[in-house]
Amino acid sequence: MADDQPLLEVENLTTTFSTDNGTLTAVDGIDFSVDTGETVCIVGESGSGKTVATESITRIINTPPGEIEGTVRYDGRDLLSLPESELQNIRGNEIAHIFQNPQEAMNHCYTVGWQITEALQIHQDVSDDEARAKAVDLMDRVGIANASSRFDDYPHEFSGGQKQRVMIAMALVGDPDLLIADEPTTALDVTVQAQILRLLDDLQEEFEMGILFVTHDLGVVAEIADRIVVMYAGKVMERGGVLDIFDHPGHPYTQQLLECLPEFGGSGGGIPGTLPDPHDPPDGCRFAPRCEYAEEACRTGDQPDEVEVAPGQEVSCVHYGPGGNPSVVRSDGLGPGDGAADGDSEVGPADD
Amino acid sequence: MGFGRYVTARVLWAAVVSLIIVTITFLLLSAAPNPAVQRAATQAALQGGDPAEAAERVRELRGLDQPLHVRYFDFIRSVYTLDWGWSVSRSQPVMEAVTQALYYTAQYSIPWTILTITLGPLVGVYSAANMYSWKDHAATGFAFFGYAIPNFFFGIILLLIFGVWLEVIPVIYNTSAPVFSVENAIQLSVPVFVLVTGSIGAVMRVSRNESAEFQNADFMKTAKAKGVSPLRAYAYHVMRPTLVPLSTTLVGQLLALFLGSSLLVEVVFGIPGLGRLTYEALLAQDTNLVLGTTLFFTFVAVIGNLLEDIVFTVLDPRISYDDR
Repeated sequence: MADDQPLLEVENLTTTFSTDNGTLTAVDGIDFSVDTGETVCIVGESGSGKTVATESITRIINTPPGEIEGTVRYDGRDLLSLPESELQNIRGNEIAHIFQNPQEAMNHCYTVGWQITEALQIHQDVSDDEARAKAVDLMDRVGIANASSRFDDYPHEFSGGQKQRVMIAMALVGDPDLLIADEPTTALDVTVQAQILRLLDDLQEEFEMGILFVTHDLGVVAEIADRIVVMYAGKVMERGGVLDIFDHPGHPYTQQLLECLPEFGGSGGGIPGTLPDPHDPPDGCRFAPRCEYAEEACRTGDQPDEVEVAPGQEVSCVHYGPGGNPSVVRSDGLGPGDGAADGDSEVGPADD
Repeated sequence: MGFGRYVTARVLWAAVVSLIIVTITFLLLSAAPNPAVQRAATQAALQGGDPAEAAERVRELRGLDQPLHVRYFDFIRSVYTLDWGWSVSRSQPVMEAVTQALYYTAQYSIPWTILTITLGPLVGVYSAANMYSWKDHAATGFAFFGYAIPNFFFGIILLLIFGVWLEVIPVIYNTSAPVFSVENAIQLSVPVFVLVTGSIGAVMRVSRNESAEFQNADFMKTAKAKGVSPLRAYAYHVMRPTLVPLSTTLVGQLLALFLGSSLLVEVVFGIPGLGRLTYEALLAQDTNLVLGTTLFFTFVAVIGNLLEDIVFTVLDPRISYDDR
């Protein structure tokens, strides 16, 4: 964190889509950074703009209908101002992606080997034999048995977990410095999920990558993250080290997210209410309409500025700001589920 | 490899299908009265001879007095040794007549087929990439126009405009023009254009709609994230899966036009090809020649379907060929 120059630094990123119903703001001026060798998790419920934020970094989002503003500094360059051709050289080569659904993420007409080597050969001038050797080696590394014979198999001949392993091999074949993993384990069952997380952890050390990991699953976050960015309705609610946030979550939204986890003594229920309409977000704090501590001050103006509540932990909440009283939010102690759940008789449906 | 066995099995099936067709043709022919026998009988009656005796002589001459199975095996042998009999109306062997006509038919069919199977998918995918833009609407309009307008009518209109009024193409087809000459290219341009507009519409529509599905697929996002350029992404990741359903349409579409429209177009433009040969054989009641051209088209259809089956499995690896 003391590094002068983070690997990736995103500032004031705003992504909007023009739709028939007007402009939809999916990501509304968020900041975050990722260092080499570090895993940053973007957490939030579905629809909070996590995926759009990560896909804005290398402009994978189609523009139009999307429009991306802000700065994305990567390795001394502002990615958002680069021409498309230069971005193509960065994608898959320096910044790689893994997506949520491995079942659909591969083209069913080509062998997995073809698809892995494609990622290598469009960036580097390597012979077919070299590319094959490297791909087989990577398939072996990500845990696919008989890699050299499976090289010529088609995606439908692999299981879901194996496909995600292949996707990881495909992402790593260009030796990226930054890996963006968008819910890579959501579509997989729990045992496979744990294997994939462990694999990513091992590979991170080996490849010295920064990982930007998107998930709505706090259980996954606990296993993999160094730092957490909590997003809600296109805004950052809270950020900080993983231990700090799990130990003393500052923002009511973070507290309630943690309460949803049975492992943390929570009710396992949901947060009452739904996400605000992204066409017309509410004034003040985005979470105010669903927040049990919301006051008049929460519902006016813009999203509150982030306030540092502990070293490296910042919260965007009126109660921590000037004139606010943090004890309103933290009155019942710091751990989640300690007291806040007592008065919480209303349990909403799970939000997925 | 299962693939080699699959291809062998398909080829054998195609042979069986063609044998069944030839058998049915033979049975129909043997059940129908033979015009030559009737003609001889009438002739004999007119000249005061014995019609029954004359008929018997002709039957003997043509081997019709042989038992059915002997005639069947004779027939099969002559069909597969390409000895398709004598064309009375043209006073030449049927095979020779078909070969000569095929020479002219091929001259417009080959460029027409190539243009359809290259331009159709390209324009369709381009159309999908620019969906609902004016380019897409223009391509769609052209596709519907070509699909809707009857080929022979469109041919007459174009012949009237370019042949009669503007005089840039000859109205009468010149059979003596060398195959690879500017003159031949000019005189074939309009019939080829007419046929392409007729066949490309369906191909464009199918490839547009299929590729619209694939261009929004998750694997396109993967391709983009890998750094694949849009052109390469369309060429490899959209075009390939699109060709799978397209290959079915393509073969059916081309065969239908080959059999139906080529006749009308040949009549309109005066090209002495297969279509016109069939048409004239029908008018002249030249049984052997009708049989020959029909068998030719049948074999083309059988081979077309065989190619389609093979192309299908090559294009889409998910199609299993184990149990077929």
